[in-house]
Amino acid sequence: MERRIAVMARRSFRWLAVLLGALLLYGARPAMAADRLVLIASINAPVSSLNSLEIQKLFLGLTVVINGLDVHPLRNESDEAMRQLFYQDVISMSESTYERRLLALTLQQGRTAPPVFRDSRALLNAIAADPHAISYAWASEVARDGRIRILKFLGSE
Amino acid sequence: MTRVMVTLTNPDQPLAGSYVPSTFYRRNALGFIGMTTIARRRSTSAILVGLLCAVAAFADEADSYNHVHTDSHPSSEFVLFASAEAHSFSTPASANQLNEDANAIGDAVFAINRGRFRLFGEYQLSNQEHDLERMQVGMEVVPDTVVWIGRFHQPASAWNTEHHHGRYLQTAITRPSIELWEDEQGIIPQHISGLLVDSRRPIGTNAGIQISAGAGLGTVVESTGLAEFDLLNPHTDGRRLSITGRIAYLPDYVGTTIFGLLFAHNDMPVRDGHTAVLLQANDVRQDLYGAFADWTDGPWQLHAALYDVAMELQNPGSSRAESFVAGYAQLERQLPHRLTAYVREENSSDAARSVYVQVNHPDFQLRRATLGLRWDFRRRQAVTAEFTHGDSVRADQDAFRLQWSAALP
Repeated sequence: MERRIAVMARRSFRWLAVLLGALLLYGARPAMAADRLVLIASINAPVSSLNSLEIQKLFLGLTVVINGLDVHPLRNESDEAMRQLFYQDVISMSESTYERRLLALTLQQGRTAPPVFRDSRALLNAIAADPHAISYAWASEVARDGRIRILKFLGSE
Repeated sequence: MTRVMVTLTNPDQPLAGSYVPSTFYRRNALGFIGMTTIARRRSTSAILVGLLCAVAAFADEADSYNHVHTDSHPSSEFVLFASAEAHSFSTPASANQLNEDANAIGDAVFAINRGRFRLFGEYQLSNQEHDLERMQVGMEVVPDTVVWIGRFHQPASAWNTEHHHGRYLQTAITRPSIELWEDEQGIIPQHISGLLVDSRRPIGTNAGIQISAGAGLGTVVESTGLAEFDLLNPHTDGRRLSITGRIAYLPDYVGTTIFGLLFAHNDMPVRDGHTAVLLQANDVRQDLYGAFADWTDGPWQLHAALYDVAMELQNPGSSRAESFVAGYAQLERQLPHRLTAYVREENSSDAARSVYVQVNHPDFQLRRATLGLRWDFRRRQAVTAEFTHGDSVRADQDAFRLQWSAALP
């Protein structure tokens, strides 16, 4: 009898652990979803801010000059949510429209498309090493990185 | 180190023991410059294909992820616009088979940017022709103002400045007849070799203005139509100066809506004696004034242009003037499931009375109605079905076309 009670208690404990784990995971999701997309540059970059038109021009591969220096974009595709927010909050175009615009600008003006990074750590290293580079990342990823400066919070809360 | 030896067979090389004309040695002693036209084009094409492959490999490497990109490193782009077409015509196709309707076309575009320096090229290969369409070297002297030298598409064409040879980027299969390339029986010169300045300047917070002007060697009139300056077989052949330009307003600097005015002046010597007799002219001077609008609003798009073409057919001691108006409007509507429906009307006034059109461009569409449906599928691929009914000087024609187009990779 005691043994049966012990087995039942162990099973209940397991279920409780699974439930707790699930709750923790569920709890973590809103925290990630609540994270903000931020426009970033190197701490050594001579850039303090960019307006919406400059950001759009930049990520279309057009020339943007800030304080007399050319800046260039790096695209961050380290996760799917960021990819979608880029189209919605950064470039303000659908993915297919953006692709067509990039193709058209290559065909019309000989422009090259912004380089794409799939690994956020590599992207942050590239940004830190290049004071001309501009990109975007989750605020939580760059908050404790002393090499990176946040230029602007993108999109809505 | 491994060495690889490659033996190239020269079609001009004589076989052992055969009679060798003295001109062979003279040609080969002169090397590339002294080659025959065909041999030179073949060699240049081989070099270009090699160059494109190298650029493609370089572009692939440059596009690989997780690399550091700085202004001191060049960035590059390589895109292959590919298309395949099946069609049915109610009347036989023109004696001058149009490359526009080639069964398979590949258009390789490459761009290399290093700081403000630009190198850009476009090479088209089809079962009808192969041609270096554009080769430009440029310098962005101030942001969004580029000075180009080379062979370029003249900016007074509304359609071609937007779509160039990238068939995937134009919703319709066919381009309007007034916008056809020289080697497709086009009536307006589209390629100029010389200097082009292309500038976009912001106005206010969001709008902009585009000013483009180009000048250089233009086209000559031949029996098959217009012939542009060929960079792979560079002979001036008495070509004269062409001047062309546009001024346009962009309500949204980074958007696709644009309204503008166009102008061009072309002085075209008639190089073919028989054509000169038919035209009763040894020189054609063409002045073009036009207006255009590319308008986008949500799922709707409109592409419209109107050209006033005035010509002087000149002979020593006499000249004859003629003019006509031609234009088109294409309306597109995006539908669910990545479908796009479109309709286009092309029309002209007095073109049928033009000797220049009758003699040299009998396939020019005096009037044409077009209806089509495009389906975009996968990434950068589309299938389009199009029906047209057109009237030309030569014949009335119904045509049905089915096309696959893509931008690769």
